[in-house]
Amino acid sequence: MTLSPVKQTLRYDQVSCRLQVEGLPDVSIGQAGEALGIITGWSLRWSGRPELEGRKDHLLALMATVLPYARHLISGVARPFGGDDVPVTIAPREQGGHNLELRSSQPDVAPLTVELDDAELADLVRVLDQLRLDPRLQVKLELPEPQPLHPREVLERVPLRRRLVAPLGGAVAVAVAAALGLLLPEPRPLPPSPEAVQQRGEP
Amino acid sequence: MPEAPAAAETPAASQLPPLSRRGLERLDLLLLSAEALDLNGGEAMVWMSEQLGFSGLFANRVELWKRRCHNPLRRATRRGNLSPAETDALIRILSALADRLYPLLRALLSSAEPESVRLQRWQLFEGRLAELVRERMNPRRVGVQTLLDPQRGERQRRQLIRALAYGAGSGGYERLRASLHDPVV
Repeated sequence: MTLSPVKQTLRYDQVSCRLQVEGLPDVSIGQAGEALGIITGWSLRWSGRPELEGRKDHLLALMATVLPYARHLISGVARPFGGDDVPVTIAPREQGGHNLELRSSQPDVAPLTVELDDAELADLVRVLDQLRLDPRLQVKLELPEPQPLHPREVLERVPLRRRLVAPLGGAVAVAVAAALGLLLPEPRPLPPSPEAVQQRGEP
Repeated sequence: MPEAPAAAETPAASQLPPLSRRGLERLDLLLLSAEALDLNGGEAMVWMSEQLGFSGLFANRVELWKRRCHNPLRRATRRGNLSPAETDALIRILSALADRLYPLLRALLSSAEPESVRLQRWQLFEGRLAELVRERMNPRRVGVQTLLDPQRGERQRRQLIRALAYGAGSGGYERLRASLHDPVV
């Protein structure tokens, strides 16, 4: 007689959202008890918003997109993460807040966009952190470790207009100084001294 | 409840160079923001340091304060760099404090709160932060003047609260640490 593994549910709550991950211990590698080695499904419930559900790939994409986005926000760099090739995209909104876009793997389903404020994004980041650091989750997540930004990203944090002020101001100052220099009259040549005239043999 | 005691120096911490003066400045300002959110912030910091097992690095509050004085914006600034173990411990303390203060941070950032309540919260935070900055920082430094300016410093003050919210907890520690090591350009 063989015992089937018991279904496990991991639940993480914050004020605005609840993440629930369901799965089974991977008995083929000796997992048992509370361990969750195979994710069979997950759901993310938002207060007053549609519930999100998906497979393991979608959850990993959500983590791989949202966590680096939050990492960049700590440095004051708000730039989009994700793209057409991944099911999750997150980007800053012009009027403040963030747009989280989720694309279904099914062909006829339109993408779902969730608007989040800073507090809701922080809640989402916390539930994802709780999940990835939970010792009961024994799935290899392969998320990159947060790294310091590249100098270019730090530079781009300053708006282009403000970055250009110093070099453009310098160039204008040089041009104005050159123009003023050109306006000055050239000095007249000095009259030749009498000794020089004598040397040339002139009367 | 504080997280599990951390090692004095994690393997990842030793891979990064010592924190730059700019990083130390940001770290101290984030700690100052945590103090501004909590009336007993100074005490909480010492208590958290003990709870996380950093009594060997910071034997008492004076030692903790001396490390924070490496911030170049301080009135009485100290020269030199902190060791990676010391900066790592300070960042862990900051993450744990931010985790403890998360409900307050969330309330400041939430757009669901009534505008008047939110404004009142921000005024309270900004007022206490300004008091602490005037008390401890060098007013002749442009960075201090900007932070204290109601208009010019608004973005920076909001950024401090955001950084604390996204850097709260043990997951946030790694993000905060990476952010504090950003290059200076």
